[in-house]
Amino acid sequence: MRAIPLLTLVLGGWFVVPAHADEAQDWLTRLGQAEQQQSFQGTFVYERNGSFSTHNIWHRVQEGKVHERLLQLDGSAQEVVRVDGHTQCVSGTLVAGLGDTPNSAARAIDPQKLKNWYDLAVIGKSRVAGRSAVIVSLTPRDQHRYGFELHLDKDTGLPLKSLLLNDKGQLLERFQFTRLDTANVPSEADLQPGADCKAVNLESDKASAVKAAQAWHSDWLPPGFELTSSSARKDPQTKTQLSSLMYDDGLARFSVFLEPLNGAVVADTRVQLGPTVAVSRRLTTAQGEMMVTVVGEIPIGTAERIALSMRNDAAATTQ
Amino acid sequence: MSREALQESLSAVMDNEADELELRRVLNACDDVETRDTWARYQIARAVMHKDLLLPRLDIAAAVSAALADETVPAKVSRGPWRSLGRLAVAASVTLAVLAGVRLYNQDEIAGVELAHQSSQQNLVAPQVKGPAVLAGYNESSEATGPMANGVLQGQPGWHDQRLPGYLRQHAQQAALKGTESALPYARAASLENR
Repeated sequence: MRAIPLLTLVLGGWFVVPAHADEAQDWLTRLGQAEQQQSFQGTFVYERNGSFSTHNIWHRVQEGKVHERLLQLDGSAQEVVRVDGHTQCVSGTLVAGLGDTPNSAARAIDPQKLKNWYDLAVIGKSRVAGRSAVIVSLTPRDQHRYGFELHLDKDTGLPLKSLLLNDKGQLLERFQFTRLDTANVPSEADLQPGADCKAVNLESDKASAVKAAQAWHSDWLPPGFELTSSSARKDPQTKTQLSSLMYDDGLARFSVFLEPLNGAVVADTRVQLGPTVAVSRRLTTAQGEMMVTVVGEIPIGTAERIALSMRNDAAATTQ
Repeated sequence: MSREALQESLSAVMDNEADELELRRVLNACDDVETRDTWARYQIARAVMHKDLLLPRLDIAAAVSAALADETVPAKVSRGPWRSLGRLAVAASVTLAVLAGVRLYNQDEIAGVELAHQSSQQNLVAPQVKGPAVLAGYNESSEATGPMANGVLQGQPGWHDQRLPGYLRQHAQQAALKGTESALPYARAASLENR
């Protein structure tokens, strides 16, 4: 007798789950399209360990071109202006040589790919910034990435709220709109950068940068993570060559920095800063001791394993 | 009932070979002091043969009988239709218990989920207060003690303090430059600049 409700439950679950997954996939597709098609302006908050800030965003889609301006409202006036995903100007300190990488164009969110590494599901409804929203959860299928909870605007598919959660369900960061206006398209004046926004010149020593960084690879990567950019630059202060590699799984990202120690005695460290972890490990190569630092929005154990798996190809061939 | 027959039955009970009738006969005769003595003697003889340790004259039966004498006899009360009703009631209560158990179990699950939600809500605040794994704002003052190191920081304590903020910034900015999917990477990068 008890088997019957159980059976219906099991069968019911069987039929319901794929439907939910499909629905979630549709919502994520909508999210990807929304930012390419929808003009909006609004205010959002960002919160993580030890930091809470408020920002304005102006986003205009006109004649297929996406103009976007972001401005921090409290503290220093952090500002970014982007056109079609390419950064035009930035306030404050921009790391030299940043972004001078091939395929630095932004990648749209791909639910088909994400499905391999996350369980996608619509888990409910909510209300954010006075608008009704659909909650889409992205639960990691392994322990190498964090889960996301996205609250997407029912009308437009825009992300109204985004929570990053670790394996214990603890909140690591919160991104949440407090006001969103999709009716009024931002004006030209709204999108004009402020006086402190310094123009970004992303053209520099491209070729050498790529070559130097490509000498490095990782013996182990968490499933789904791919190299999306690599660069190398000379640090103006320390005069050492710093290589950096960036990987992502379509949602989460981490960077690997490789720097020669030049005889310095440095201990291994681990730092957790809100959602971002930084793990440093010494690595002995043919060129001497190097420090490998993995920085990213991934669990600390995963970062540790990546740091231990970095190898220098140049060293391998000369040995 | 002849004494011989009883002794035979007693022996059979002791050897675990008595049938229902013999067992009843022995139990009925248990009140008799002589029978109990015979029983005790048989036990001693058996213990000697098996070289078992024996506690002589430990008359458990008498003690049990005395205890039972004070008890009311429930069997007589539950005879008749009430007995079957009682059984039904027991069965019903067991079913109820099972159902309640399932229900409670489910409620537990629901409560568990709610708790999980609550705990995640609480943790919203908690990690900010929770100290050691976190470098709040990564400000200059934290450099005095060095970053939160897994091991003991040796050699040049300044190395990580010099490099890590730069690494964190570069990672965040690079992510912000690459990602247009949301303003999230930008917000992360901006939060690093808030000192």
